[in-house]
Amino acid sequence: MRTTQRLWWGLGLLLVCSFGVLLFMGTEIHRLAPPMPERVVTESGEVVYTRADIEQGRVVWQSIGGHQLGSIWGHGALVAPDWSADWLHRELIAWLDLRAMAVHGKAYADLSVGDRAKLEAELRPLVRANTFANGEIVISAQRAQAIASVAAHIDSLFGTGLDTARLRESYAMKDATVDTPEHRRQLAAFFFWTSWAASTARPDSLASYTNNWPYEPLAGNEPTTSEFMWTVFSVLFMIAGIGLLGWHYAVYHGKDRAPAPPATDPLLSLKITPSMAATQKYFWVVMALFLVQILLGATTAHYQVEGQELYGLKLAEVLPYSLTRSWHTQLAVLWIATAWLGTGLYIAPAISGYEPPLQRLGVNFLFLCLLIIVVGAFAGQWFAVMQKLGLAHNFWFGHQGWEYVDIGRFWQIFLFVGLMLWLVLMGRALWPALRQRDEMASIVGLLFLSTVAIGLFYGAGLMWGEHTHLSMVEYWRWWVVHLWVEGFFEVFAVAVMSFLFVKLGLVRARSATVAVLFATVVFLSGGVLGTFHHLYFTGTTTAVVALGASFSALEVVPLAFIGIEAYETYTHSQATPWMARYRWPIMFFIAVSFWNLVGAGLFGFLINTPLALYYMQGLNLTPLHGHTALFGVYGMLGIGLMLFCLRGLRPDAVWNGGLLKTSFWTLNIGLSLMALLTLLPIGLLQLSAALENGYWYARSAEFMGRPIIEVLVWMRVPGDTIFSIGAVALALFVAGLWLRRGEPQSLAITATS
Amino acid sequence: MIEYYPIVKQVHIASVIASGALFAMRGAAGLAGQHWPMSAPLRYLSYSIDSVLLTAALMLMTMLHVYPIAHDWLTVKLALLVLYIVLGSLAMKRAREWRQRFVSYSVALVVYLLMAGIARAHHPLGWLRWWGWA
Repeated sequence: MRTTQRLWWGLGLLLVCSFGVLLFMGTEIHRLAPPMPERVVTESGEVVYTRADIEQGRVVWQSIGGHQLGSIWGHGALVAPDWSADWLHRELIAWLDLRAMAVHGKAYADLSVGDRAKLEAELRPLVRANTFANGEIVISAQRAQAIASVAAHIDSLFGTGLDTARLRESYAMKDATVDTPEHRRQLAAFFFWTSWAASTARPDSLASYTNNWPYEPLAGNEPTTSEFMWTVFSVLFMIAGIGLLGWHYAVYHGKDRAPAPPATDPLLSLKITPSMAATQKYFWVVMALFLVQILLGATTAHYQVEGQELYGLKLAEVLPYSLTRSWHTQLAVLWIATAWLGTGLYIAPAISGYEPPLQRLGVNFLFLCLLIIVVGAFAGQWFAVMQKLGLAHNFWFGHQGWEYVDIGRFWQIFLFVGLMLWLVLMGRALWPALRQRDEMASIVGLLFLSTVAIGLFYGAGLMWGEHTHLSMVEYWRWWVVHLWVEGFFEVFAVAVMSFLFVKLGLVRARSATVAVLFATVVFLSGGVLGTFHHLYFTGTTTAVVALGASFSALEVVPLAFIGIEAYETYTHSQATPWMARYRWPIMFFIAVSFWNLVGAGLFGFLINTPLALYYMQGLNLTPLHGHTALFGVYGMLGIGLMLFCLRGLRPDAVWNGGLLKTSFWTLNIGLSLMALLTLLPIGLLQLSAALENGYWYARSAEFMGRPIIEVLVWMRVPGDTIFSIGAVALALFVAGLWLRRGEPQSLAITATS
Repeated sequence: MIEYYPIVKQVHIASVIASGALFAMRGAAGLAGQHWPMSAPLRYLSYSIDSVLLTAALMLMTMLHVYPIAHDWLTVKLALLVLYIVLGSLAMKRAREWRQRFVSYSVALVVYLLMAGIARAHHPLGWLRWWGWA
C-alpha cells in the first residue's frame, strides 16, 4: 500500500473513532446533565421557582445578549460577572448573614473569625447537599430568604434601581437591560439554577454538576482530584507527543528534494473566468467588515472604562456593550469566512480550468445572500437587545446569546443554506479536477473535503432548540466553534497553502499530499476530541475532563514544530526571483505560523489544562488566546489568501508595497501590544485575585474597578491604534488596486512588489 | 482612576513637549537638506511618542469628562490638531518645493503653539485670552 493510501485509511479510521467517541460522550452528557426541576420548593411546600420560570429566564438572558454580557459557567464576556459565580457568592453571603443574625444577633461580617468559620463549616454541607428528588429541589426557608434577597438585587440591577446604578456602569449594562419585573424574576430563576448546579454535589459524588466550578471556598468548590490528575497526565501526553513527532520529522522530513522552480510564474498564464472576476466584491466586503469590526472592538474595549458612554456620548442607549461585542465577535468570523469563501470560489475554476455554466450568477447570488444575512441578523440582534422584539420571536429572529453562533435561528439556517450553495459552487467547478487520477488528486480532494467540513459542521449549530438543556447547547455549540477553529480551519490552512505552493511549482504534488495528509491526521488526532476541553465545567462528568485534557494537550504537539513550516514557507519565497510578486501573501502566511505558535500554542495551552482553566476561564487570559489565535492565525490567513487572489484578479494594477509593509508590521505589532500591555497583565492580576479570594472576586466590579486595571485597559490604546493603522493601510491598498492605474506589473519584479 | 490624574497629566505634557520638539528638530534639519530626519529610528520614535500622547489625552478626557463639541476649547484644539498633522505631513514629506515645506513647517509650529495656549487657558482663544483679549 502506498504512503498516501495508508494515510487516507489512517485518517478515515481516526475520524470514525474520534467522532464515535464524541457522539457517545454526547449521549452521556445528555444523560447526566444537571437536572431541570419542575419546581423549587421550600420544606413547607412554598413554590420558589418553577421549571417554566427557569426556562423562560434563560430566554430572557438570551434576548439581552446571553454570553455577550457576563458569562454563565465561565462561558461568555469578560465584562460583567459570571452570573453563576456571582449568584452563588451573593446567595452564600446572604444565607450566612441570616444565620449570623439568627445565632449571634449581628451581621456575618461583624462576627469574629472563629464564629465566621463555624457558620461557614455548618453551611457548606447544606449547600452541597443534593435535595433534588421527584422533580423537585427542596430548600430550607432560610435559603429561600437568601434567594429572595439576591433576586431583589437582580431585579434592581437589570432594571433601573438607583442602588445598583454604579454597578450597572461597571458592568457596562444599560438602564432597564431587562424590560419587565416579571422577566427579571424569571432571569433570577435561571441564574439560581446555574448556581445550584455549580454547587450541588452529583448523586454518589463529591464533585458538583460543574466539576466544582467556580472556585468558591464558601461552598466547598475546589478543584477535584481528577482535575489535578488529568492536568498532570495531559502535560505528559503532550511531551510524549512532541517526542514522537520529533522522531517522525527526523526520520521522514526534508528527504524529498525540492523541484527546480519554473523560469516564470506559472500563474501568469491563469485565465480569469467571469466567476473568478466576480469574487472581487467579496474582498471589498472583507475590508469593510474588518474595519467595522475594529471600530466595534475599540468601542467594546472602551466600555470597560466608561460602561455606558463613549467620550461623553451616551452610546449605551442605542448601542450597548452586549451589542457591540456581539457584532465584534460575529464580524470576526464573518469577514474571515468571507475571505475564505471568496478564495475558494476564486481558486476552484483556476484548479480545474473549467467554468461551469451560470457559475458567475451563483457567485453573485451567494454574495447577495451573505449581505442580506449580515444586515438581517444584526438588525434582529439590535431589536432583541433593545428589548423591542419580545421573547416569542427572539429565538428565530433575535439574539440567541450563544457566543459565535448567536444570530437568530432563521438567519442560522439561511447561513447554512448559503454555505451549502458555496459547496455546490466549489464542487461543480472542482469536479473535473476531482475526477482526475493524477498526483494532484489527493491534495485537491483534501482541500475540497476541508471546505465540505467547514460548510457541513456549521449544521451542528442547528442541533439545539429554544429550550434544549444548557449542557447540550454547549456541547453542540463547541462542535461548531472548536471543530472549526481547532480542526477543519487548520486542515484548510495547511491544504490551501500547500496547494498554492504546488501550483507555483515550488513543491512536488506527492510530497505536498503526504505532508498535508499527515498534518491532517496529526491536527485531527487532538482536534476532534479536544472539543471536550471547552466542556470541563458545563455540567459534564469526569470522563469529559479526562478526554478533554488528554486530547487537547495533543493539539499543541504540531504547533511545537510550526517553526519548520514557517521556515519552509520562507524558503519558498526565496526560491526564485519571480516569487517576489508574492512577498506579502507569503509574509502573512509566515505570520500565520508565528501566531499559531504564540496565540494558539502558548496562550492556548496556558488556559488548556483542567486545573488552569478552572481558575482562568472567563478572565482576560481567555481573550488573550482568542485575539491572538483567531486574528493571529485565521485573520492573517484570510488576508494572505485575499492578497494571493488579488494578485491574480488585478495583475495589471500597481502594487503599493509601502502600504502592505505598513499594514503587515502594524497589524502584528498592534496585536502584540494588545496582548502584552493589556490582556496578559490584567489576566494575571485576575488570576491572582481568583486564587486568593474565589473566582467571583476576579470578575467583580470591586476588583475590575481598581485603578491599576483601568490603567491597563487604557494601555490598549497604543496597540489598538497601531493595529487600526494596519487595517486602514490594507484597505487603502485594496482600494488602490481599483482606483490607481499604472504600468502593468504582472511581469515586473520590483522591490516594492 | 482619578488617582492617576496628576501622573497622566504629566505624561501628556511631557509627550506634547517631546512630540513638538522632535518635529521642530526634524523639520529644521530636513529644510537644511539633511536626510536623517526621515530615518526609520526617528520615525518610529515619533510614532511611539504620539501613541503615548494620544493615550494620555484620551485618559484625561475620560477622567475629567471633558469632551469635544461639549467643550469649545477642546473642539478648537482638535480642529487645530488636524491642521497640524496635515501641515506636518506637508513639511516632512509631501510638499515638493523647499518654499512650500518651509511655509508648512512654520505654520505648523505656530499652530502647535496655539494648541498649547488653548490647552493652558482651557479657552478657544488660548494665549489671546491670557493677554487680555477676552
